[in-house]
Amino acid sequence: MDKLYLILLLAIWMPLQGRAQGYSDSLTQADIAKEMELQNFVVTGYQRIDRRKMTGSSTTLKISDETVGAVLNVDQALSGQVAGLSAVSSTGAPGAPLKIRIRGISSINGNQDPLWVLDGMPLEGNEIPTMEDLKDIDNLYQTSIAGINPADIESITVLKDAAATAIYGARAANGVIVITTKKGKAGSPKIDFHTKLTVSPNMGLDRLNLLNSDEKVGLELDLLRSNYTFRENKGDVYRILSALGEVDAYKAGGWNKLSAEAQQRIDDLRATNTNWNDVLMRTTFTQDYGVSVSGGGNKATYYASVGYSDQQGNVQGVSANRFNVTLKTSVRINEMLKVGASLFSTHRKQTSFMTDYNGFVNPVYYSRLANPYFKPYDENGNYNYDINVQGGKEDSQLDFNIFEERANTSNERQDQQLMAIFDAELKFVEWLKFTTQLGLQRDAYTIEKYAGEKSFAMRKDLERSVYLYSDGQRPFLPTTGGQHKVTEAHSYQWTWKGMLEAQHRFADTHEFQLMLGSEIRHIDANSTYTAAYGYDPRTLTTQTVYFPSENYAKTFPLHTETRTENAYVSWFATGSYTLLDRYTLGGSIRFDGSDVFGVAKKYRYLPLYSVSALWRAGEEKWLRRVEWINDLNLRASFGIQGNIDKNTSPYLIGRYDRKSLMGISEYVIDAETAPNPSLRWEKTKNVNVGLDLLLFNGIFNFTVDYYYRRSSDLIGLKMLPLETGFSSTTINWATMENKGWEFAISTRNIWSKHFHWTTQLNIGLNNNKVLRETVSENATYPSREGYPVGALFALQTAGLDNQGYPLFIDKTGNTVTLTELLKLNEYGASTLTAEEQRSLYTYMGTTDPKVSGGFINTFEWKNWTLGINFTFNLGMKVRTTPSYNITSYDRGLNTNRDILNRWTPTNTGSPSSTSVNSDNPIINILNRLTQANTSSPLPALINDTDRPAEYVQYHDLNLYNMLDIHVRNCNYIRLQSLRLAYKFDMPWLKRIGITNASLSVEGRNLFVIASNYDNYLDPETMGNPYAQPISRDIIFGISLGF
Amino acid sequence: MATNQTHKIWRTKFTRILSFFILHSSFFIFFSCDKFLDIQPTGKVIAETGEEYRAMLTSVYNNFPDDRSLTMFRTDELVLDPASTESYDLNSYFDIWTWNDITPDENTASYSWRNFYHAIYIANYIIEHQSEITQAPTDSVRQMVGEAYMLRAYSHFILVNLFGEPYTYCNPSTSLAVPLMIEADVEAVPGRATVEAIYQQLLSDIAAAQQNLTVETWEPDLSYRFNTLSAEAFRARVCLYMGRWQEALTAAKAVIEAHPQLENLTTTTYTMPDHYKSVEAIVSLEHVLKSAYKRAGLPNVAFINSYRSGDMRKARFFKAQTSRVYNVLKGVKNGDAEDKEQYHRSTFRSAEAYLTAAEAAARLGSLPEAIELITPLLRHRYAAAMVTRLLPQLEAMTQEQLVDFILEERAHELCYEGHRWFDLRRTTQPRLERTYDGKTYVLEEHDSRYTMPIPTEAISANPGLAAE
Repeated sequence: MDKLYLILLLAIWMPLQGRAQGYSDSLTQADIAKEMELQNFVVTGYQRIDRRKMTGSSTTLKISDETVGAVLNVDQALSGQVAGLSAVSSTGAPGAPLKIRIRGISSINGNQDPLWVLDGMPLEGNEIPTMEDLKDIDNLYQTSIAGINPADIESITVLKDAAATAIYGARAANGVIVITTKKGKAGSPKIDFHTKLTVSPNMGLDRLNLLNSDEKVGLELDLLRSNYTFRENKGDVYRILSALGEVDAYKAGGWNKLSAEAQQRIDDLRATNTNWNDVLMRTTFTQDYGVSVSGGGNKATYYASVGYSDQQGNVQGVSANRFNVTLKTSVRINEMLKVGASLFSTHRKQTSFMTDYNGFVNPVYYSRLANPYFKPYDENGNYNYDINVQGGKEDSQLDFNIFEERANTSNERQDQQLMAIFDAELKFVEWLKFTTQLGLQRDAYTIEKYAGEKSFAMRKDLERSVYLYSDGQRPFLPTTGGQHKVTEAHSYQWTWKGMLEAQHRFADTHEFQLMLGSEIRHIDANSTYTAAYGYDPRTLTTQTVYFPSENYAKTFPLHTETRTENAYVSWFATGSYTLLDRYTLGGSIRFDGSDVFGVAKKYRYLPLYSVSALWRAGEEKWLRRVEWINDLNLRASFGIQGNIDKNTSPYLIGRYDRKSLMGISEYVIDAETAPNPSLRWEKTKNVNVGLDLLLFNGIFNFTVDYYYRRSSDLIGLKMLPLETGFSSTTINWATMENKGWEFAISTRNIWSKHFHWTTQLNIGLNNNKVLRETVSENATYPSREGYPVGALFALQTAGLDNQGYPLFIDKTGNTVTLTELLKLNEYGASTLTAEEQRSLYTYMGTTDPKVSGGFINTFEWKNWTLGINFTFNLGMKVRTTPSYNITSYDRGLNTNRDILNRWTPTNTGSPSSTSVNSDNPIINILNRLTQANTSSPLPALINDTDRPAEYVQYHDLNLYNMLDIHVRNCNYIRLQSLRLAYKFDMPWLKRIGITNASLSVEGRNLFVIASNYDNYLDPETMGNPYAQPISRDIIFGISLGF
Repeated sequence: MATNQTHKIWRTKFTRILSFFILHSSFFIFFSCDKFLDIQPTGKVIAETGEEYRAMLTSVYNNFPDDRSLTMFRTDELVLDPASTESYDLNSYFDIWTWNDITPDENTASYSWRNFYHAIYIANYIIEHQSEITQAPTDSVRQMVGEAYMLRAYSHFILVNLFGEPYTYCNPSTSLAVPLMIEADVEAVPGRATVEAIYQQLLSDIAAAQQNLTVETWEPDLSYRFNTLSAEAFRARVCLYMGRWQEALTAAKAVIEAHPQLENLTTTTYTMPDHYKSVEAIVSLEHVLKSAYKRAGLPNVAFINSYRSGDMRKARFFKAQTSRVYNVLKGVKNGDAEDKEQYHRSTFRSAEAYLTAAEAAARLGSLPEAIELITPLLRHRYAAAMVTRLLPQLEAMTQEQLVDFILEERAHELCYEGHRWFDLRRTTQPRLERTYDGKTYVLEEHDSRYTMPIPTEAISANPGLAAE
């Protein structure tokens, strides 16, 4: 392979030495003309392809306030704009990344995020971690694309099918998003300035439907007389009665048997209502400023910009800001050589609350738990402690006060990012050029967490570190001072690619295009975490920790480090042949090699290829005669995308560690991962068929694509006989398919002199199915085989029995108790086999949208522009956390009003039927609109003494979460942007040098139409009680051009 | 004219340098790619060098399962008691203690089936790759291979004694025990091998180990590793379990000859015999009576009271809290600040060789030889006056009585070191009985529960194991 390339390159290089060809100055002019036709080209990151020869499926989006509204991050810009791309928020925290999926999911265990490319350089650091633990949402997380200033972006191209992405090789399996930034244009210097000021009103926690003081006190009183005994001694009512010694009197005789003092104190409690909404949430202001200078002459162009944005979250103490500097220049040295350089530099800072180990401190979560009768301050303005917030142990009562916590803890992340891109283009002859690009990306971040001595977080760690010394119990962490934890991470990548491009047209009928290239890439990343205890923020000193043993030292690590290094080498080629400007045949191939550790060399390179065709039927003579058809293109492509799992190997791979077996510490190599002797690449076969239609002189523009993607040899878990020494191995085993339709329709509804109205509708339909997967033999939760990768399963319930316990529907349709369903023995264990237990579950739906898209209307009247953008995601299901747990509702904590509707001997209701969930999302919306609120009671609170077997299932095995009543539909249509702008064109403005000026006001997320999301802040975040609300923003914008 | 202009361009220094740089360096891209891709990830390793293979072996030693500890609950050594046993300990050990193997509580402590086979896998891997080990002298490679054979045999030995019928109480050539794994193969779906096949493999592995092992004694900190003598000590134990008395006698005598040292418990300057620095230690791998087990169960008072008067072990191994409650002093740190729990490990020690040799001799009918073989141990365990009184009694014993005496000595000497259950299985399989909360649980004489069923998780991962 190496030699072949050498010969090829020499063959091209040698004849060029001293060779002379005619060049003329008009080339420069031609180039400028080409710039003008930007819209006629698709930027793939490697090439600019003439749209008339583009065989792949792609969507290009011009980024401006008019098209996407005032967005602060690039990923927000894509929401609802591209058919087949779904973007879902997981939290409303400022700067939080969106989960973006292009054409569904093609990997089970691997990365599912698309590849982002900035001006030809693939970016690192855009994988969003799967937040298995819901509390992970509190981790400050940043992607590298979040560092790009949206004001610097000219356009974004989303490459969807194999024909479009094959050139990116293995990393393109999840689609590619190519960002093209603005550059200077020849002409006099142009200065643009914009500012956007945003108000985000306090959202209110009313949606959470929490108990008020009166209701909460009533609940506590009720529970105290009921037979529900879990954490009976919690809650202020119990504390009052217990202090007065009247608990037994109350239990025996009720309210009337209480002393006047007890009654008075309890009534006082009812009358206290703390407004947690104002304590925890706020109205915020966000600012965004930017200024750019651009221009150039015939030889050189430049673009420079500075941007600053400061975003405050609706949750107190949460914010994010960003400072950008961008410099770009392009210089034509002579007729042959053109060079360019770009520099993107960003500094970002994010602050948030510091969360403890159980997540109680998360303000959104705390807002659901804090008692409405609890006053955070006493009469003298001192902190009151909320001892209902649990420590790490069952009965610990650590002091917690949200104001104290906010004052004495901090959590801050700072990101520094520098990206540099250097290009050179060497044009040997008109038809042959060589281009090369060197891209550098350096990301560094620091996360600093501090908790002072007087903080719940510190108290909790002290409690966790209590050790039984010979002289008694005490914590081994220093008891004075706080803690300071710092994570420092750096990553550095360089990418260098070189490409030789040839293009020629013969006899005006045959057109060839060929590109050969190679690329190498190297990535280094490391991170260091240090923790210090006994920290004094005034003296910046810390204290020594004396761990009682090595094991305890592991629970409070003081220093950890990670280091990774990866390298990639690729070769690629693309080519196309066009006949008569109508028939295009394209193909591309790429060999990707990577440093996959412990992989035989033959597996290092995988050929990924695609073939594609385009027929511009509209150019056929017989169709040209049809005047109302301007364009009719048919596209088809087939290709293979692939990926290799870096975590398995055909060899036995061990991990170094140090252990001390006896007196001395020794190196050990733990080899707990089974080798995979038949490791293969994961492959995805793609078929894409598309149609582009342009009718009535561009009034009606329609694109439809159908795709089928079959991913095979996916890495999946397979159970092994234990006698092999391993319990499972990951092998190329699973199979999955995605199929779907994408529609993009844009119409010019009205196009008169003063009034324009255009509409755009993007719809992506995706159907995902896991064709083969194994689950472990003893798993009691079903396999996704035959269902989507995001499948949710639940136990079908049928109302409650006469003691308030859930009833179930078994496989034969009979209504049975849990004991009967699972055939529980007296200890609460199911006597069914694991397989039988799996079969009890019913498929409820998938967590990924089946239909997603956007609906965009733009109205222009004289100088006024009105834009209305809707985005929608339909057909999702979400498993919510039960509003109260039937075995372990802690009466010391608040909850929502669902609990008032629980089954009690006096609230038995009538046996209810479960609501009908349809697969059709539209019907579900209608159901939701027509459905009256059913008031059949919810399951009763239960005790371990009654039906102990069922109690074990609900309490110890968390079966309650698995009931179908917690699975909800999630369909929503969000008014993403409503924007009104006015463009000034008074002549006097020109006289004072202002070439353009506009004012705008925009509302973002003003409302959402969704299936029932009662008790939750947003439909998107229903599954996660820790997620911050998605803010509603009013944005005032001014932009000026000089 | 165009030609001239182009020449001028080519002559421009900048262009020339840049073009050469770009194109020539592009050639670099096409070469030495494999080298560019050879990256050693930090922390991850495919073992190649002797040091790396050694670290892999150390990991196996470090994770070596302590299942022999769990068997203490099945014997008469430990007692669960409503007054002292915590409920979580009851969950873990009650069903083991009451021999309830069929329907145990789901929290019952499980046997480390997979861990033993993981040790066997690594041992097989080392045996198979011995010729590829680099940067290590032949001797140290051979030593590692010898240890691998020992690990493979010792793991199989424990498995066959946990889940296979006792060699002495079955037809070994037909009784199916556990799978025999002598190849590192993750794609294997093995079936159960016969007791005979496994024991034959043990003997051949021990022979192979003996050919390879080179280190006679490890320094104390590394004494968890198998040494040359351990192969002989292991052979003595295996032959004893098989009832091959002559071979057991020969092997045990060889061990005594090479390593006759015994701790003298009649003095005050002894080291606990289960301590890795004890003069008796041959291999100190397993730590049997960990504090977790000690917390769960009390030592059986009847067992403690069975020590004869004058037997120093009663005072050295136990400490009375009250007349009903004792603490076992084996397996724990003994007041000494330098001592640590993890120092109390014993897999092979010389006292066992004396007991094995004496038992084998007695079984073979050479009673005087048996007495002669056990005497040194008695002298180090009993007060001198007691030994003087004891020896004439021994000489007066019948063969049966002497064997019983030696077995009793074996119980008294090796208690809480994981021997008791295996010894009960191979010898008398007596009736055992316990009472908890007024309810009585019985293990009948020769009860089938002297052999445990294969763990359910093993069967569910390999259903073929359920076949009889």
